[in-house]
Amino acid sequence: MPPASEGQELLQISIPVVVLLIVLFYGGTLLMSYFISRKKENADDYMTAGNKIGFGISAASMTATWIWASSMYASAEAGYNYGVSGPIHYGFWGALMILFIYPFGKRIRKVAPKAHTLAEVMYARHGRSSQLMLAGSNVLGSVISLTSNFIAGGALFAILTPLSFGTGIVVVAAGVLLYTLWSGFRASVMTDFCQVMAMLGAAAIIIPVVFFAAGGPGMFEAGVAAGNVSPEQQSFFSSDAFMNQGAPYIAAVLAYAIGNQTIAQRLFAVREDLIKPTFITATVGYGATIIGIGMLGVMALYLGISPLDGDLNNLIPQMAGTYLGPVLLCLAFIMIIGSLSSTADSDLSALSSIAMADIYGQSKGRGKANPRTMLTVGRVTMIVATAAALYFATARFSILDLLVFVGAMWGCLVFPVISSFYWKKVTNAAFSVSVLAALVIFLPVRFEWIPVDGILGYGVELLSIVGIGVILGIMGFGFFGMKPALIIATVGMVAVLPFGFNFLRDYSVLSGSLVAYAVSFLVCYFMSFRSKENFDYSVIQKITGDFDTQNDADESEQLETSSVGNVATDKQGE
Amino acid sequence: MTVGLTIYVLMWPIFVGVTMFVIARGFFKEWAQARREGRMII
Repeated sequence: MPPASEGQELLQISIPVVVLLIVLFYGGTLLMSYFISRKKENADDYMTAGNKIGFGISAASMTATWIWASSMYASAEAGYNYGVSGPIHYGFWGALMILFIYPFGKRIRKVAPKAHTLAEVMYARHGRSSQLMLAGSNVLGSVISLTSNFIAGGALFAILTPLSFGTGIVVVAAGVLLYTLWSGFRASVMTDFCQVMAMLGAAAIIIPVVFFAAGGPGMFEAGVAAGNVSPEQQSFFSSDAFMNQGAPYIAAVLAYAIGNQTIAQRLFAVREDLIKPTFITATVGYGATIIGIGMLGVMALYLGISPLDGDLNNLIPQMAGTYLGPVLLCLAFIMIIGSLSSTADSDLSALSSIAMADIYGQSKGRGKANPRTMLTVGRVTMIVATAAALYFATARFSILDLLVFVGAMWGCLVFPVISSFYWKKVTNAAFSVSVLAALVIFLPVRFEWIPVDGILGYGVELLSIVGIGVILGIMGFGFFGMKPALIIATVGMVAVLPFGFNFLRDYSVLSGSLVAYAVSFLVCYFMSFRSKENFDYSVIQKITGDFDTQNDADESEQLETSSVGNVATDKQGE
Repeated sequence: MTVGLTIYVLMWPIFVGVTMFVIARGFFKEWAQARREGRMII
């Protein structure tokens, strides 16, 4: 048992108890998955559960999917690095990612009520190239997310149990695949309810227990007296925390909401009239949980704890192992396993939907695609994705670098995607060229391949200021409409002008993302505003829709029989 | 400072608990309704 800090030891869970917890957790989820399984799965339900799930399941699923192990670790890391405002600058903006998709989500559901993926809608709106760009970025993002969750599982096993990292990733991958494979999205959202109850329940207990076990209110004065905390870290208005943590996340708010298929999938699955309460509840649930878990990092900072092996990802398991007793340590273990499993199963469902709808379904055409083959494509995709993520997790690629890349790629897509749902003039060429142009400009800025100084520096900063206007404008447009959006965007840009130059160039992560927004907006706008295209949005509803109409008919017939015979249909399709 | 930071740390678990209650109440209502109608909740 390695020491966590001076005078304290890290508690570990013994192998028999770990085995028991894993059997209980994955056995329980597998049992739930079995109870909702059908002998003949419906291909559309496998992707979106028939577009009619209720508030309880959808809110639980949205919350569970958005809370992933990496977000817990990152929030604690933000608390440790930036002090009291750190978790806010991680969790608050992450929560807003859910909230800001809601107004656009309503519009997307209106024009495509029966779609399965956003890329499928882009196919109907623009054509193949736009669809593939969005689908490709979704696939990349989901595989990276899956890999990251497996790595988090491996790290958890390595710290809190005597088992190795390799054992951890294999156990997590096998457990998640086992209960998701047969029923797909339906299993994912159903098990999310139990997982979110476990996660939220554990967080509500663990945070105050660690707080009082670590010394309670006295830790704050003691921490300051010991010199563990800088004045900047004690401030709720830390500019360091805002510029390095908060601002890049504000830029990413819309990108993650649009680019992540796991959110889009739930958007298409929830009953249309329940979109608003679902998204608001998930926003509060995610924000409270992740900011709350971030408090473990703040406590570690005040207590002067050094992360194990210098790795900040070890902070949460380390705090749990140091300050919790055996029972609560098991609860913390389940909390983290729940968070990573719920996101991993969503990633698998998202990937299978993209393969089923965007790769197989749309290439064959609706009405011609075989639902049986479609399901096979979905299940094979899950197995291949799990194997790929296991390989990447073993190779320990830099997840952070990949996430930054994908986040920026999604930033390139935000304006073209959103404007395509409102502006009839946007063309396929404008969409594709604007995304590619934004990507080409973003890469050298973000990775500092070229020196961003002199005239070039001013150019990047000018684009960054335009990018701020674009982000504020899109956010304002979602909630208040076009005129207020233009005012908000203009005021935002004017406010940044006095200090933006000779300043933004020092923050490459932030300016890279802002440039991506600005370039995609400028190219898309100038290629579209003179175009003669006058798109009819009713076309989207005709092109997107159910693939598996045969099984829909079987289900309706069966429900009728069951209601006549007054027998509950527990196993549809049998 | 101490009181403020203590409230700051401990208010999040309360929000988490309220969210749990809202989600659980929604889920069990829908579950009961699905049972009454003789169908699966999902």
